[in-house]
Amino acid sequence: MRRFFLFLPWLMLVGVSLAQAGAVTDSPKLKIIASHYPLAYFAERIGGNRVVVNQPSPPGEDPAFWKPNAKAVGDMQKADLILLNGADYEKWLPRVSLSKFKLADTSATFRNEFIRIENAVTHSHGPGGMHSHEGTAFTTWLDFGQAGKQADATAQAMIRKRPELKTLFLENLKTLQADLAGLDAELKAIAALKPGLALFASHPVYQYLARRYGLNLKSVHWEPNEMPGKEEWEELQKSLAAHPARWMIWEDRPDPEIADKLQSLGLKSLVFSPCANRPESGDFLEVMKENLENLRSAMH
Amino acid sequence: MQHDFYLAWRYLRHHRTRSLILIVCLSLLAVLPLALHILLDEGERLMTARAEATPLLVGAKGSAMDLTFNALYFSESTQTRITMAEADRIALTGWADPLAIHARFRVKGHPLVGVSLDYFDFRRLSLWSGQMLAMLGECVLGAEAAESLGLKPGDSLLTSPENLFDLAGVYPLKLHVVGVLGKSHSPDDQAVFVDLQTAWVMEGLGHGHAEAASSPFDPADLAADAKRVTYTEITPENLDSFHFHGDPANYPISAVIALPHDHKSGVLLRGRYLSAEDAAQIVLPLESTRGLLQNIFRVGALFDGVLLLVGSATLLVLGLVFALSLRLRQGEIHTIFLLGCSRATVVRLVGAEILLLVVAGGALSWALLVWIQCYAGDWVRHFVIS
Repeated sequence: MRRFFLFLPWLMLVGVSLAQAGAVTDSPKLKIIASHYPLAYFAERIGGNRVVVNQPSPPGEDPAFWKPNAKAVGDMQKADLILLNGADYEKWLPRVSLSKFKLADTSATFRNEFIRIENAVTHSHGPGGMHSHEGTAFTTWLDFGQAGKQADATAQAMIRKRPELKTLFLENLKTLQADLAGLDAELKAIAALKPGLALFASHPVYQYLARRYGLNLKSVHWEPNEMPGKEEWEELQKSLAAHPARWMIWEDRPDPEIADKLQSLGLKSLVFSPCANRPESGDFLEVMKENLENLRSAMH
Repeated sequence: MQHDFYLAWRYLRHHRTRSLILIVCLSLLAVLPLALHILLDEGERLMTARAEATPLLVGAKGSAMDLTFNALYFSESTQTRITMAEADRIALTGWADPLAIHARFRVKGHPLVGVSLDYFDFRRLSLWSGQMLAMLGECVLGAEAAESLGLKPGDSLLTSPENLFDLAGVYPLKLHVVGVLGKSHSPDDQAVFVDLQTAWVMEGLGHGHAEAASSPFDPADLAADAKRVTYTEITPENLDSFHFHGDPANYPISAVIALPHDHKSGVLLRGRYLSAEDAAQIVLPLESTRGLLQNIFRVGALFDGVLLLVGSATLLVLGLVFALSLRLRQGEIHTIFLLGCSRATVVRLVGAEILLLVVAGGALSWALLVWIQCYAGDWVRHFVIS
C-alpha cells in the first residue's frame, strides 16, 4: 500500500502527460489553402501530418495568373487558413469573398521592401490569357531571406489556428528555416564567384533573386515553349550589345529550337525554376538545390 | 345567482353597443400601461442582447449613440466615416480581431451592409436557402428583407444612386441574390448584405469597364477613355475587368467591431483610443445602449404617470356613466321591485352586470396583451430600433 502511494505522484504525472498528448493528437487536422506551391511546402514542412494543404490552381497553370471560379471560392471558404503570398500575387483577391480571419499575408512584414515594376509589357501564355507583370514583383520567395520570413509568417498563422500544436510547429519551422538559410548562404557563395556577371532572364520574375544575390540580370518576356518572333530576336541581339550575357535563365527547360538559336548567339540556357506549382518529382528544396547547381554552372 | 347573471347577460346583450364601448374602455385602461411595459422590456431585451454580443466598437469621433446605432442596427447616420486603416490598426495590435462594417447605403428601404464573411459567423447567421457570398457583385438577404422585396436566390436587385444629379456619386449596381439568411430576430433580418468590396464598387472606388480597342499608348484612347462603357452589373464575363483604385487602407467604412481575444486585450485596446487627437473613438456598445435605455425608461415612467392620471379620470368617467345609466334605468328598477324582487336582488343584478363587463374587459385585455407580446419584437425592430 505504501509503495502505491509512493508511485501515485508519478502515475498522476504520466496520466496528465498522456492526456495532454491525447489532446494534441485529437485536434482535427488544420485545413490549409496555399496560393502557390512554396507556401504549401512551408505549411507541409511546419505542420507535418497535422495539416492538410491544398493549392487551388490546377497543375498546368501559373498560380500568379489563375482566377478562381465560384466553386474554388467555396472550397477556400471551407478551409481553416488561407496562406497568401501578398505582393499583389493574388490578383483575384479583391474579386472574391473570403473570411478575413482566415487570410494570412505571408509577406506583410517586408512589404516596404517590395519591388515596383513600371511599364511592363502585356503578353500572353498559357490558359491565363493576356497579362502583364506591371505592379509589384511577386516572386518574393526567390530571395531565401524573404522566404524565411514567409515561412515564419506561415508558422505564426498556423499557431493562431492551433495554439495547442505550437511546440511542434516551431520545432519544424526551425529545421525549415535552417534549410532556407542553407540555400541562402549557398546562393550567396555562388553569386560571389563572378560578381556582376551579366545574365539574361527569360521572364521578369527574378527581381528579388537578383536584388538579394547581386545578379546583373536583364529580363525579356519569352516563354520556354513559344518560339519568339523575329522582332524579339532582333531586340535581344540589340540588348546583347549593351548587356553581354553568356547565359539566359529560364523558368523551365526551353524548347530545343529556342535553346539552339540562343546558342548560335552565344547564349546558353539554364533553368532556375521559381517552383510556383508543385513539381512532378521532388519538392521545393530539391528544385531549389537543382536551381543552385544550374546557376553554379554559369558562374564557373 | 345563476339567474342574476342570466338577466345581466341578457341586459348587456340587449344594449350591445353600450356594453361593447364599456368593455373596450375597460380593456384599454388595462392594456395601455401593460403594453407600453411589454414594448419597453422587449426593446431593452433586444438592444441589450445585441449590444452585449458586440464587445467593442470603433468609429469616427462624435456621438457614441449614433455610432452604436449605425453599426448595430444599421440606422442612417450622419457620422463621419473611418477608413480600413482603422481595422488594420486593430489587427496590428494583436489584441483583437476587427470586423469592418460599411453601412452607408439603403436599397428599397432596406439597409445595404458591406461586411466580410466573418460577420456571419460572428452573428451566427446561417443560410436558409442559396449559398454564401463568393464573388464580387453578389448579395445575401436577411429573412425579412427577402420577404418584403419578394426576392430569392437567382434574382437580382438594382441599387439606386443616392442623388440623380450627382453624376460622380454612388454607382448603381445590379446585385445578384445568391442566398437568403435564416430568421435571426435581429436587425440583420432587414438587411441586404454584400461583401465590403462590392460596397466599395458602389462607392465608385472599384469599377469594371470595357477596354478600348486601340493601344493603351494611343492618344486617341484618351478620347475613348471618357466614352468607355462602365459596367453596372458584375458578370463572370466582365468580373476580371473590375479593379480598385487607391490604397485599400483608405477605403471608407462606417465602423469596426473589435473582438478582443480576452478581457485584458480589450482593456489594452481601449487604452489606445484615449488620445484627444485621435480621429477615432472606441465605445462599449452596452454602455451606450444602457445610456439610451435609461432615457427611454425615464420617458416610460413619465408615460406611466400620465397613464395613471388618464386611467383614473377614465375610471371616474366610467363610474359617472354607470351612475347616470342607473338613474336612466330608475323606471326599469322600479318595475323589477314591483314584480316582487328585493333591493338586494336589484343590487345583485347590477353587480352581475359590472362583473360581466369587467370579465369581458379582462379577457379582451389578455387577448390584446398576448397578441402584443407575440409581435413586440418585430414592432420594436421596425418602429423603434431601425
